[in-house]
Amino acid sequence: MLNTRLMIVDDEERFLKTTKGLMEKRKCIVSTALSGIEALEILAKQEMDVVILDVKMPGMDGVEVLRRIKQTHPLVEVIMLTGHSTTESAVEGMKLGAFDYLLKPCDINILFSKVMEAVDKKQTREQQMNQGGKDR
Amino acid sequence: MKQDKPNTIKRMLVFRLLMLPMVVLLLVCATIAFYLINYSGNQIKNELMRTAADHRNLIDCFFAEKKATLKFIIESNTLASMSDNTFLKKLLKNLQTESKAFVDLGVFDENGNHLAYAGPYDLAGKNYGDTPWFKGLRDKGVYISDEFMGFRNVPHFIIAVKRMDNSRTWYVRATIDTYFFNDLVENIRIGKTGEAYIVNSNGIFQTRRRSGGRLMEQDTEFNLYTTAKHAAASFCAGGRFNLEHLYAAVPLKQKNWTLVVRQATTDAFAPIAISALISFLIIAGGGAAVAVTGYIMASNMANRLKIADVEKREMTTQLIIAGKLAEVGEMSTGIAHEINNPLQIMKAELAMIEELFMDLVPLMDKGAEEIMAQVKDSFDQIGIQIQRCATITRGLLNFARKTDHKLTPVKIQTLLPQIVQMVDHRARVEDIRIVQEMDPDLPEIMSDANQLQQVFLNLLNNSIYALEQRSQGEIRINAVKNSADIIIRFSDNGCGFSRETMEKAFLPFFTTKPVGKGTGLGLSTVYGIIKGLGGEITLTSELNQGSTFTIRLPLNVKDQSHETA
Repeated sequence: MLNTRLMIVDDEERFLKTTKGLMEKRKCIVSTALSGIEALEILAKQEMDVVILDVKMPGMDGVEVLRRIKQTHPLVEVIMLTGHSTTESAVEGMKLGAFDYLLKPCDINILFSKVMEAVDKKQTREQQMNQGGKDR
Repeated sequence: MKQDKPNTIKRMLVFRLLMLPMVVLLLVCATIAFYLINYSGNQIKNELMRTAADHRNLIDCFFAEKKATLKFIIESNTLASMSDNTFLKKLLKNLQTESKAFVDLGVFDENGNHLAYAGPYDLAGKNYGDTPWFKGLRDKGVYISDEFMGFRNVPHFIIAVKRMDNSRTWYVRATIDTYFFNDLVENIRIGKTGEAYIVNSNGIFQTRRRSGGRLMEQDTEFNLYTTAKHAAASFCAGGRFNLEHLYAAVPLKQKNWTLVVRQATTDAFAPIAISALISFLIIAGGGAAVAVTGYIMASNMANRLKIADVEKREMTTQLIIAGKLAEVGEMSTGIAHEINNPLQIMKAELAMIEELFMDLVPLMDKGAEEIMAQVKDSFDQIGIQIQRCATITRGLLNFARKTDHKLTPVKIQTLLPQIVQMVDHRARVEDIRIVQEMDPDLPEIMSDANQLQQVFLNLLNNSIYALEQRSQGEIRINAVKNSADIIIRFSDNGCGFSRETMEKAFLPFFTTKPVGKGTGLGLSTVYGIIKGLGGEITLTSELNQGSTFTIRLPLNVKDQSHETA
């Protein structure tokens, strides 16, 4: 989908910058956040389709950020990205409704295709909701 | 760790548990035995003394009686009547009906002239004035002689009494029948060898001694019981085991003779000897039994201690290993995690460069293809190397993972043979026998089949590697269950681990294989997986003898994350 609104959250600034560039080349509209707090602030102001979220960050960790995103914006799909899959965070993440879980280092194309899948899912759900709305 | 040889422990145990109590026991037994023997010995001696004293009284009685009889005769008759041979014969006859002790009777005047005689010998008319007995009689009034030969030249002794009338002094003498007296004295029975005899003050036999010793001979053992002699006392001579006889010597009251009762010590102390022997046998037997059981117990204990010691050392080693692994696990998680971030950035940057480069391509001159190909090659290489790093960090994380596993019912007894089949061909090429011993009734467990497969394959590959270039290679796999777990063992008789390598075996990147042959992540991954499945894996090995990996998988996995260590 064109113009996917994507937010990348990670504490590595360089990663944000480069990935943002790569995703923009793939026709996404990319915002970046260096921390969970910042991410939530951006979300409060702007609509997002997909969030790529690093699990291990100083301050608020990824799982907590995910929980809050799902509370406030249940339709936003979140892809977790982590240095390593830990059972707790993975299980918790999936329970909290993360779209998927990717291991670092992750190939950009794989990441992009995950983003696309997430967008598809979001659209499907929105359509269902709209249908439901119409039915009412 | 102090290495006590089991023998030293055994010796110590035997000494401490056994020797001291045994010494005490033996001392107690010996003391009791000693006192008992002593007491019994004294009892025996006292018994002999009592017998001797009783017998002495009997003999004293005999003398007293005979004296009294003669006294009565001399007092109730006159010299005139007594000097008549016929009367004297009659008197003797009367006496002999009374007692067989009297052999003859004689009457003497004050000068020792034999006035009248009744008896078997021809002694009438002889003068006894110079005989020792007559002199003694003259002084004392009553006289009992020692045995002597006299005129008749036969051993005998006499009893004589004196009467002093107003007019004159005269004497009556009676000879005592030697055989009768002998019988009287000898008539005693103590054990087998007990005997009684009489000696005079010089140790001359006054009666026969049954065990050798004729009348009037010198008793060669006389000094044995005279040394301790003191007046009118009974005493024991001998009685020590180095003497042949136990003596009880009692002085007679009526005569300066000594009644000796003696018994061979072997005979006298036979009951003691027997009881001493029995007690000795009991002590020895008991001691031997105690010693044997003690020795066996000590051996068992020493062995058990040895086993416990080995187990303890084994456990300590395992603990050290587990601690090390936990530490390394924590460290490598951190490292892997930290490295993954830069790798992610590199990957992203590389992707960016590649894409930008693709954008550049159309803007380039025709002649740049070759350079472009080289640059592309370098990009690919960077990609490959980043991937390589990623594999390594993944391996590290796997070792210390808090696993992510899908639990499904797994049958070890079906899963294992499948995996053995996978390596079967390789094993046959290397000429290795694989023996499977599986309990067919193993219960299904909830586990991750894929991960278990990885574990078993890894262990089998290791075993095959350990058996390369070795003859008679064998891998034994057995699986049994106990109350809470399934125990799976992989044993081989391959090259084994040294103590140092054993401690490092599960560490990531530790490998004994040459560079390029192994990553050192195999066993660390195995360790991580088993830990993650709630189990345990331990390694026991002997260099050049073989190794055994023991896996313990719980029958009931609590489905929760398991931290390593």
